[in-house]
Amino acid sequence: MLDAIIQGLLLGGYYAMLAAGLSLLFGVAKFINLAHGDLAILGAYLVLFGVKVLGLSPWLSVLLSLPIMGILGWLLQKYLFTRTQAAGFLLPLLVTFGLGAVLQNGLYGVFGSDTRSLANYIGDLSWDSWQLTDQISVGKLPVITFACAILVLAGLQLMLSFTRLGRAIRATASDPEAAELNGINANAVHCSVSAIAVMVTGLAGAFLAMRAQITPYDGPVQLIFAFEAVVIGGIGSLWGTLIGGIVLGISQSLGATLISAQWFQLTGHLVFLAVLTARFYSAIAHQRGGWRMFLKQSYFSITGSLPSKVTKTKIKNG
Amino acid sequence: MSKNTLIRSSVSRRQFIKGASGGIVSLGLLGSSSLFANPDNVIRIGYVMPRSGPLSSFSQGDDFLLKQVHKQLANGLNINGVQYALEFFLGDTQSSTIRASQVASDLINGKNIDLMLTSSTPETVNPVADACEAAGVPCLSTTAPWESFYYGRGAKPGQPSPFKWTYHFCFGVADFAKLYIDQWSKVKTNNRVGMLLPNDADGNSIRHLLIPDLEKAGYTVIDAGPYEDGASDFSQQINLFKKENCEIFNTFPFPPDFPVFWRQAAQKGYAQRVKISQLAKAGLFPAELNSLGRLGYGLAAGAYWHKDFPFASGSTGLSSQQIASGFEKSTGKQWDQQVGATASLFDAAIEALIQSNAPKDKVALVMAITKLRTETAVGIIDFTKGPVPNCATTGLVGVQWVKAQQGPWEFALNIVSNADHPLVKVTNTMTPYRIGG
Repeated sequence: MLDAIIQGLLLGGYYAMLAAGLSLLFGVAKFINLAHGDLAILGAYLVLFGVKVLGLSPWLSVLLSLPIMGILGWLLQKYLFTRTQAAGFLLPLLVTFGLGAVLQNGLYGVFGSDTRSLANYIGDLSWDSWQLTDQISVGKLPVITFACAILVLAGLQLMLSFTRLGRAIRATASDPEAAELNGINANAVHCSVSAIAVMVTGLAGAFLAMRAQITPYDGPVQLIFAFEAVVIGGIGSLWGTLIGGIVLGISQSLGATLISAQWFQLTGHLVFLAVLTARFYSAIAHQRGGWRMFLKQSYFSITGSLPSKVTKTKIKNG
Repeated sequence: MSKNTLIRSSVSRRQFIKGASGGIVSLGLLGSSSLFANPDNVIRIGYVMPRSGPLSSFSQGDDFLLKQVHKQLANGLNINGVQYALEFFLGDTQSSTIRASQVASDLINGKNIDLMLTSSTPETVNPVADACEAAGVPCLSTTAPWESFYYGRGAKPGQPSPFKWTYHFCFGVADFAKLYIDQWSKVKTNNRVGMLLPNDADGNSIRHLLIPDLEKAGYTVIDAGPYEDGASDFSQQINLFKKENCEIFNTFPFPPDFPVFWRQAAQKGYAQRVKISQLAKAGLFPAELNSLGRLGYGLAAGAYWHKDFPFASGSTGLSSQQIASGFEKSTGKQWDQQVGATASLFDAAIEALIQSNAPKDKVALVMAITKLRTETAVGIIDFTKGPVPNCATTGLVGVQWVKAQQGPWEFALNIVSNADHPLVKVTNTMTPYRIGG
């Protein structure tokens, strides 16, 4: 039980890092990037390219891949996302869906379909662990991933709270037009946010490639986990994303331990649905003057329908 | 004037497109059969594979093997005194079942093929075979457990076969039991087996068919229960195997899940206790092992082809050793099991064409396949012996991935058990699993 919580917590760190980019982009630029998982895989392949073709050390390669992913994010926002967003809500979804397909097949074209992993380049770190008790041990790589996620999210939070860019991002997120009236270039802010988001996503992809195997077609599954973490944690909130990732990770591993191994993904999905439902109803409740009023109304609408059933049965009996 | 140029340019563009596509078609005809102007003497073969997408590792050897077949049959095939040319039409399933049946129908209707060949996973083989069965085109396939080909497409045990046109040769679930019982006897263990089986078609059929056989043979099997493909945490299963002290570990996972499991097993100290770690489905391709690194040395598996098989491939004119080295030279990658299996598919197909005496007659061709008994790269296949109508079995050898003694590849594959395939010689003794080899 304790073991499941620890493993889930550590897994949640990875989910949070994966979800941060999606959350940022949705929170500020207000669109859902369906190519998010594929961008993570692209980041992983970029690191692999550095290690395998250029012969760099894996950590140096991760560092070098970050600015490249950042530039890519900037360009994507400037030349693709901004233009599609002008055409309404649906088009960005379709375009990023298409972008995902292009990335998958592009990676396949360049790297082939062989399954690859960074694990064999980081030596025994991929499976080394600290033994806490006889029953409980934690892997070094999951701990590093978790620590890295905290660092990244804390860094982002500090940047949002205390820097000029952070202020501009917050202003643009809440009202882009008002921000522009105050001399902020909303387009440039969107581009920087996209750059940061894609960079963090690439980093998450690199960690994925260290703990698992990747192929060019692995993006969509990652998108689902990221999306669930974002929704559970609350859209656009960074600490919420961390909590969302951890809740997702813990509920998956607890579901697998307490109920059945088959419940691993299912518990995660159920928690996601439960949170979504709660959010949905709390929005309705908010419109109707709070939870108490909402529940009262719902109660009456149920009890109001009961007498009619009673009369019906009476008629049948009579 | 401007109108005039406009029209002219549009006409010339059309002509260009027409000319271009016409050129491609006639080029294809030239390349394969300029000597055989009579279309009655050209045998048209459809070949459907997952050439792109997640399953595309299975088709890595196709280009090399087809080139060999072309070389071997450059002068065509003499069948019953008539000289025939062969023309192959390649179809790509893009690793999707839906696309597979579409591509198969396109080849059947559009290319008017005489024989369909297909291979690699039930997701490829079953839809293609179904399309051929419906259209009445002979189809020969391999590399998917025969149970999933036969029962997976609606045949019932004990009843006559519902299939007239589709034939398959491959190992089956029963081969695993025979193989494991022999292979696991080579290393001293406590005979307690931890089983990690997902909730998918293969996992469930193994659960119902293999576990009883192992228990009958004296093994205590601890099934960690079904799980969904793509799980990212396996602590529950690993803790169970540790608690039950399973010195043998066996799994039939969705391939990308295995490294996640095995790294976690090492983190949690289970991999350090295991004496035999036996994979199926995962660990077929050297690339998977390379990405496991040091954790991969000593993993055991079953193989349907190996470069040390003593059989020759008639269609390519190569021995098993030559297939492996030729593949490595042409692709720059280490040989894998599927190259030999694909060669065996061509071997069986060419032999069936010859024995039919009338390869353009679909009924004669199917009759020849039902009676086919021939040597291929994977061994002797015999359609007269069963196990069920429409299927022939091939054997599995027990193999172990070890650190290669010399380059260029990181891993070498030793044959350590041949109980299920006695014609193949064992090359090395099986060693207990140890991290780092």
